[in-house]
Amino acid sequence: MQAEQEIVDRLCEEFPFLKGRVHVQRQKRIFTGHLVKEEFEQVIRYLHNNMGFYKANHVVGTDEGENLGFIYLLSNKEGIMLALKEIAPKSDPKINSMTCIYPSLERHERELVDLFGAEVQGLPEGPSYPLPDGWPKGNYPLRKEWKPEYFDKNTMTYNPPDAGNDKGKR
Amino acid sequence: MVLKLVKILIFPGFSFLAIYGMFLEYLDRKIYARIQNRMGPPWYQPLADFLKLLGKEIIIPADSNKKMFKILPIVSLAAVASAFVYIPVFGNTSSAFFEGDLIIVLYLMTITTICMFLAGWYSRGVYATIGSVRTLTQMFAYEVPLFMALLAPALIAKTWSITGMTAFYEEHPRYILINIPALFVALISGQGKLERAPFDSPEAETEIVSGVFVEYSGRLLAFFKLSVDCELVLVASLISAIFLPIMTDIAVLDFVIYLLKTIGILIIFSLMRSIMARFRIDQVVKICWRYLTPIATVQIIINLLIRGLLTL
Amino acid sequence: MEKVDENKERAENKENEENKESKQNRETSERNRIVIPIGPQHPSLKEPSSFIITLEGEKVVDAVIGVGYVHRGIEKACESRTYIQNLYLIERVCGICSHTHSTAFCQGIEELAGITIPRRAAYIRVIVAELERLHSHLLWLGVAAHEIGFDTLFMYSWRDREKVLDVLAEICGNRVNYGINTIGGVRRDIDSEMMQDTLKMADYLEGQLKYYLDLVMTDKVLSARLVGIGKLSREDALKFGVVGPVARAAGIMDDIRIIEPYAAYDEIPVNPVTDTHADVFGRTVVRIKEMLESLEIIRYSVKNIPDGDIAVKAPRRIPAGEVISRTEAPRGENIHYIRSNGTDMPDRVRIRAPSQANWQGMRHMLQGQYLADIPITIAAIDPCYSCTDRAIVVNSESGTEIMDWQGLRQYSIEWYKKRGIDVSLVKMPERKFYA
Repeated sequence: MQAEQEIVDRLCEEFPFLKGRVHVQRQKRIFTGHLVKEEFEQVIRYLHNNMGFYKANHVVGTDEGENLGFIYLLSNKEGIMLALKEIAPKSDPKINSMTCIYPSLERHERELVDLFGAEVQGLPEGPSYPLPDGWPKGNYPLRKEWKPEYFDKNTMTYNPPDAGNDKGKR
Repeated sequence: MVLKLVKILIFPGFSFLAIYGMFLEYLDRKIYARIQNRMGPPWYQPLADFLKLLGKEIIIPADSNKKMFKILPIVSLAAVASAFVYIPVFGNTSSAFFEGDLIIVLYLMTITTICMFLAGWYSRGVYATIGSVRTLTQMFAYEVPLFMALLAPALIAKTWSITGMTAFYEEHPRYILINIPALFVALISGQGKLERAPFDSPEAETEIVSGVFVEYSGRLLAFFKLSVDCELVLVASLISAIFLPIMTDIAVLDFVIYLLKTIGILIIFSLMRSIMARFRIDQVVKICWRYLTPIATVQIIINLLIRGLLTL
Repeated sequence: MEKVDENKERAENKENEENKESKQNRETSERNRIVIPIGPQHPSLKEPSSFIITLEGEKVVDAVIGVGYVHRGIEKACESRTYIQNLYLIERVCGICSHTHSTAFCQGIEELAGITIPRRAAYIRVIVAELERLHSHLLWLGVAAHEIGFDTLFMYSWRDREKVLDVLAEICGNRVNYGINTIGGVRRDIDSEMMQDTLKMADYLEGQLKYYLDLVMTDKVLSARLVGIGKLSREDALKFGVVGPVARAAGIMDDIRIIEPYAAYDEIPVNPVTDTHADVFGRTVVRIKEMLESLEIIRYSVKNIPDGDIAVKAPRRIPAGEVISRTEAPRGENIHYIRSNGTDMPDRVRIRAPSQANWQGMRHMLQGQYLADIPITIAAIDPCYSCTDRAIVVNSESGTEIMDWQGLRQYSIEWYKKRGIDVSLVKMPERKFYA
C-alpha cells in the first residue's frame, strides 16, 4: 500500500485539482474521479512521461446518464493499475485520442466510436471496429437507452416504440 | 500392331499407370497417416475421390481463358502417359524405345509442370497466379540438378536410351555404385519436381489455398489429380530404372522387382514428406542451387573421367 | 564564385536525376504490386478475420487488418442478466480459454461482495487453469506446425492434447467450457482418482513436451522457418502493449500469476519463463517451456491441496462498486472491469481479452515479411477472434434439450437419413477416458 499511496500523494501535489478525487481502492488499484478533458490530458501525459506508467491496458466506456465516461486503465512495472476517468456530455462527446502516447489504445478507442458514439479526435484512419459494415448511423449499442429488442436484424433498422404505443415491446 | 496398342493403352501403358498411380497415392497417404499416428484412408480412397470428382459440377472462372483452362489437364495427363511408354516395366525393355528417349522423357516431364503453370496463369485468380509463379520458380530451381543427376549415369552407359542404359548396367552392375550421389540428388529434386512437402510451397494450403488448382473443380480437377499421381509413378519408375537397374531375365520377376523398387522409392518420398516442415520458395532455390547442383556437377565430372578411362 | 555555382548546378542536376530515378523505381515497383486478400475465409485462419496484404513479389509491403466478424454483443447482454446467468455467458466468450474468463469474472464479484473463497476452491481453480493452459498451448503448437506445413508435429501435439482434454472432462464433466467456477468457489470437488489420473497424464506429457522442445531447438528445417520471423523487439513490444507469450518472448516478464497472484498462486511457486529471441521461434520456445512449468504447478497443487469446503454462499445482490480483476490467460493478461449498482444485474462489464492487446503489433510484424511467413506470423500471437470481438446471443425457440452421447449420435443419424444418407452402418469406437 506504500507505493500506491506515494503515487496518490505525488499526483495531488502536482495537480491540486485532484485533491480528494484520487483514492487507493486496494493493493495495486488506484481510482480517480471523473475529470474533464483538459484536466485529464494533463494528468495522463504526466503519468506517462514522469511516473513510469508505460502501458495502457485498455479503455472502458461507461454510460453515466447525461454523460459518457471513459476509464483509461494504465499500469506501471510493479503492476499497479491506475484507473483514470474522463467524462464528456452525450450532447457533445468529443475527446482527444491518446494513441499519440499509447499506440496500443487504437483498437479500444475505435470501440468507443462504434459502441458509444464518442468522437475521438486524432484517431488514425482505419476500418471501423467492431460493428459490421452497413450498421445504421446513430445507433450506439452500449448506451443504456439502446435496447437490443428494438433492433431489426433483417432490415438493419432500429425501431423504438412511440410513447404510448407498446407494440413490439417484450 | 495390336500388341503394341495393348502395350501402350492397357499394360504396361496407360491403364496400368493410372491404377498404379492411385495405388501409390493410397500407399503414400497410408504411410503418412501411420507415421502421424492416424488410421489413414481405406485402399479404395483415391479411386473414390477420382469418381466423386468426375460427378461434380465444373465451374470455370469468368475471367479465365476457357479453352486453355479446359485443355490443360488433358495435356498434362497425356504428357505423363506418353513419357511412361519409354520406361521399362514388364521385362527389361520398354514398350517403345529409340536412341535419345531419355531426353524426350525429361522434356515430357517438364510439360506437366508447364501445364500447371499455365493452368494457374489462365485461371486469373490471385492465389492461382502466385501459385503459378512459384511453380515456375521452383522448376528453375530443381530442374538443373534433377536433369544433371539423371543424365550422369547415361554418360557412362554411352547411350541416351533408358532401355539401353538398363542393358548396360545389367552387364556392368558395379558401375551402379558410382552413381549413388546422383541418386541422392535425384531423390530430393524429384520430391521438388512432384511438389510434395517440404517442397510444396507452390500449392501451400495455408498460404495460397492450393495454388494453381484453386479455381479447378469437377472433372478437370480429377484429371489434374490423376496426372499428379501418374507423375509420381513416372518419377519413381525413372529413378528406379536409371539408378537401380536390377534385372533378371524373367519378365514376371522383373515386374515384381520393379514394383518393389518403386514402392521403396515411394517410402523414401513419404518419409521425407512427413518429417519436414515446408520450405519457403527462396529457401528451395537456395537448397537446389547451393547444395544439389554442385553435387550433381561433381558427379558429372567423375562420370566423364570414368568414361574417358573406359575408352582408353 | 563560378565554381561554386557550377557545383551547385551539378548538385541540383544530380538531385533531379536521382529524383527521376527514384520516381521511376517507385513507379515500377508500384506496378509490380499485387493485393491479395487473406480471409474472411481462408484455410490458414481458424476463425474469420480479413487481411488485405499488398505484395511486391513475395514481400509484404502493407497489411490492413480487419477483425470484428465475431462480435456477439456479450457485454451488452451481460447488462440484462443476473450475475449467475452472466457467469455462463462469460464462459462462452472463448472456447479455448473459457476458464480464465469465468475466473476473472468470479474474482471480481467476490471482491465486490467481500467474499473469500475456501483454499480448496482456489487450488481447484489453479489446477483447471493450468490444464487449460496446457491444452491451449498444445493446440497452438499444432496450429503453428500446420501453418508451416509440418503436419506430423500438428497431429502429434493434438494427440497429446486429447489426454489433457480427457483429464479436463473427468474433472469438470466437459472438454471445453468447463463450467467449474461459481461465485464463491467451485462447483465440483476433485477426488483422489482424478488426482491420480492428472498426475499420470502429467508424467506422460512431460516426456512428450521435452521431446518437442528438443525438436524445436535442434531441427534445422523448423528453425529455418521460425527464427527471425515476425520480429517484435522489446521496445516495440512495450510500445504496442503486447501481452503474454508475445511479450515474454521479447524479454518482458508480465506474468500476472507472479505480478499479482490470484486464486492460490500466492502459495504455489511459479517460475517466470522468458526468452530473448523476440520472434516466432522465441514464442514457440516460451510456450513449450510454459507448458513444462504448468506441469510443475499441477503436480504441486495436487500434492498440496488442502481439505475443506469448495464453495461459500454468495449473495444474490452485489453491493454497488467497481472492480478490476486480472488473470493470466494462456494468451496473456486478461482484464475484466465490472461495475455493480446494488441490484442482481451488473451495470457494466468490460472484458479485455489478451488477443485484443496483441493485435496492435500485427501490422508492424507483417511488414517486410515473405508471403509464406504470414500465416505463421499471425498464428504466433495465438489470435483468438472470439476473444477479441467478444461481444449476439442466439435464442433457440424450441428451448434446450439434454442429450447424451448415444442420443446425439442417434439425432445425427436421423438428420442424415432425412437427407437420404444412411450413416448408421459406420461403426464408432467406444470413447475411453484416460487411464
